[in-house]
Amino acid sequence: MTNHEQYEVNFFKPLSDHAKANKKLISSLAIIWAVAVFGFHFLLIFITTPTPEQTLDDFNSVWPQVVEDTSATIEMKQVFAKSMLMVLGKNIAVKDNHKTVLKESLSWSVYSMQPDSVKPLYKLEPKSAAISIGLSSDGFDKIMRNLLTTSLIKVENYSLSNESIEVLPEIMKLYLVHNQSFLTDFKFLGFPFHYWYTAQFLLILFVLLCVFYAVSIDKLNKKHAFAEET
Amino acid sequence: MNKLYKILYSIFFTLVLSGNLFAQSATKLEGEFKFGPAVILIVLLVTFILVGVFNRAKDTKTYWAAGRKISPVGAGMAIASNWMSAASFLGMAAIMYGSGYHGLSYVVGWTGGYVLLLILMAGQIRRYGKYTAADFIGDRYYSQGLRGVGAGLAIFISFSYCVGQFAGIGLMFKWILGIDYEWAVIIGASVVLTYTLISGMLGVTKNMQIQYVIIIISFIIPLFILTYKFGYFAWLPQVGYGQVISDIVNGIAPGGGLSSMGHDFAILPSPEFAMPWDPATGQTAFQWLAICFSLMIGTAGLPHVIQRFYVVPRAKDARWSVVWGLFFICILYWSAPVYSAFGKILSSNPEVGKLAKDAIVVYTAQLGDLYPLIIGFLAAGAVSAAFSTVSGLLVAGASAFSHDLYFNVINPKATEKKQMLMARIGTILMAAGVAIIALMKLGLIAQLVAVAFSLAGCTIFPLFLLGIWWSGSNRTGAWAGLIAGGSVATVTLVYFIAGKMGATLPYQEFINYYLNAWYFAWLGAPLAIIANIVASKLSKDKTPIEIKKFLAEKVHGVKVN
Repeated sequence: MTNHEQYEVNFFKPLSDHAKANKKLISSLAIIWAVAVFGFHFLLIFITTPTPEQTLDDFNSVWPQVVEDTSATIEMKQVFAKSMLMVLGKNIAVKDNHKTVLKESLSWSVYSMQPDSVKPLYKLEPKSAAISIGLSSDGFDKIMRNLLTTSLIKVENYSLSNESIEVLPEIMKLYLVHNQSFLTDFKFLGFPFHYWYTAQFLLILFVLLCVFYAVSIDKLNKKHAFAEET
Repeated sequence: MNKLYKILYSIFFTLVLSGNLFAQSATKLEGEFKFGPAVILIVLLVTFILVGVFNRAKDTKTYWAAGRKISPVGAGMAIASNWMSAASFLGMAAIMYGSGYHGLSYVVGWTGGYVLLLILMAGQIRRYGKYTAADFIGDRYYSQGLRGVGAGLAIFISFSYCVGQFAGIGLMFKWILGIDYEWAVIIGASVVLTYTLISGMLGVTKNMQIQYVIIIISFIIPLFILTYKFGYFAWLPQVGYGQVISDIVNGIAPGGGLSSMGHDFAILPSPEFAMPWDPATGQTAFQWLAICFSLMIGTAGLPHVIQRFYVVPRAKDARWSVVWGLFFICILYWSAPVYSAFGKILSSNPEVGKLAKDAIVVYTAQLGDLYPLIIGFLAAGAVSAAFSTVSGLLVAGASAFSHDLYFNVINPKATEKKQMLMARIGTILMAAGVAIIALMKLGLIAQLVAVAFSLAGCTIFPLFLLGIWWSGSNRTGAWAGLIAGGSVATVTLVYFIAGKMGATLPYQEFINYYLNAWYFAWLGAPLAIIANIVASKLSKDKTPIEIKKFLAEKVHGVKVN
């Protein structure tokens, strides 16, 4: 006589002591696994706040004047030009159509810094542009200097196009605001903590969980005289 | 094992020799024949074929399950090299290079799934004792129809997984030989087909151990040099690159005297590289979680991964082979972000030009001005990674075709010889088909591979999970689950293909975001599980007592008096 219920396998209703212990082991490991991976990332979603780079503040502080052109000082336009270069320096992260807007705005600002007497004959080229923007030859300024060689384009009528005026603040926001919190600012082994946690610790944890399971289940099988092979 | 060392030693010796002879050949980024790397590649390929010949499969049993004669460490290496494909070797760094932290969802997704696989399935699958995933499905759900569908799915999943690999092989052959992508794919496909046919699984398993060693060495050597060269902690590059990440976030000012190929080792502050779901990458937190989850579930449902547990002699060995396998895999996954970080800095100068993301690993080594032969070895390692996975996939696909479809469904009277022939025909058909699709260049390597994962997660994973842990799950439930998971997959893929062809369907944007081809399993898998449970409960159909008995006694070791 066989009874269906004797053979009813159900993870949540273990049939033997061995299965009970096994269930406990699997559940604990699965919970640790889920909390470590998804719990941490929900926490990250919850506590990170959009944080602007200094460059965005710089840009925003001069943008209202620069867009009007007449009320902007040379210094303001220099700040503006540098903020364009800071975003262009992100290179591969920046979309091509955004690069075009940034380049146009940069080129326009360099041109508009020139005295009126020079403007009609002025030719955009990296060396004089670097002087106009006030870039030194070391530190980040040197990178920006190099960027100038690929970033200056001929500007239509030497004025900022309406489309650029419209999209530029959004573009700056897109590339200069990042999700940050103490978890991303805190450093561990040189890493931003969250990066270390995900790229290294989680993998270490996975291996440890597996080792722990393999050892535990071997012990469990021995304890309950569970014959694995028949 | 002794044989293995001998082979590795001779490979190493040949490499050093060829290295000294042709040291100065690989300098241009693209477009020329690279003699040194070509020699390395040929040496490796000839070795793989010879190893295959010496370990030839004699009958169907050997062909499918390698006679179950492999130690856990060896099986772990085989799992790792079977796993570490072009997507791991090339694709992962490519995604992190382009999308920063978003790429880590692939790193975590492709490792975390092994925890599930181990604690929920590995030992049980081994004790169930079947040869293929479809065998299990057909047997557990007592249905020839489901066996056929299972086999079809196994073939389809292996197939789409292979396409990404062939694309990677094509990319590397193109780089090394300086030939067209088309020819590169055709040559690569022919070679991988040849040795899978000659060797079968035993040869492939031996090959996989050798390939693992080659893959990991070729991948890691450049990292020591890069971290040392640019002044980071080089004793353990996997830790040393932490400072590189922070430096990318804060920017590196030129002036340390460090440069490479005429460019300063410098970058303006780029927090978008490390901050989570950065707006600049266009990727959201939801996508991070969905990809991570889908890849994990998919890992535990991939036929060619599950099938590896049949190779080990005992359930205990099956478990330890996963532990070792995961550790070996993690060595590569701890290292891959290093390439994307150095790649980000070294290509930050616009003068470098736009680089093919999928080849960023190799480009990074080139831009770091490494010894050309090391770069060649790296490229050959990438080919090995793709090869080892492809051969495993071809075996899985071919056995699904010959064993599950032909022998079990179409012609149960087929002789051993006939089955073997069908396995070979299946392998050839599949390789040819994959090569044709790979020539179409449908997407990035990692993208193509991710489709296979979501597909496996929606269909095969629920069948295994419920099949092993709940004897109440029956044939009706299995069909319901397959239909639910399959529908999600179909909707996703229809929208995906329509999008690729430029057509617009209703709610296109909504579907493309929530049911994207790379991560639709986040919805499909839970739906399939729920459908399976509900239909099993509602239907009058009951799992036969023999199957319940087998499951309880054999698989879960319950003793009933």
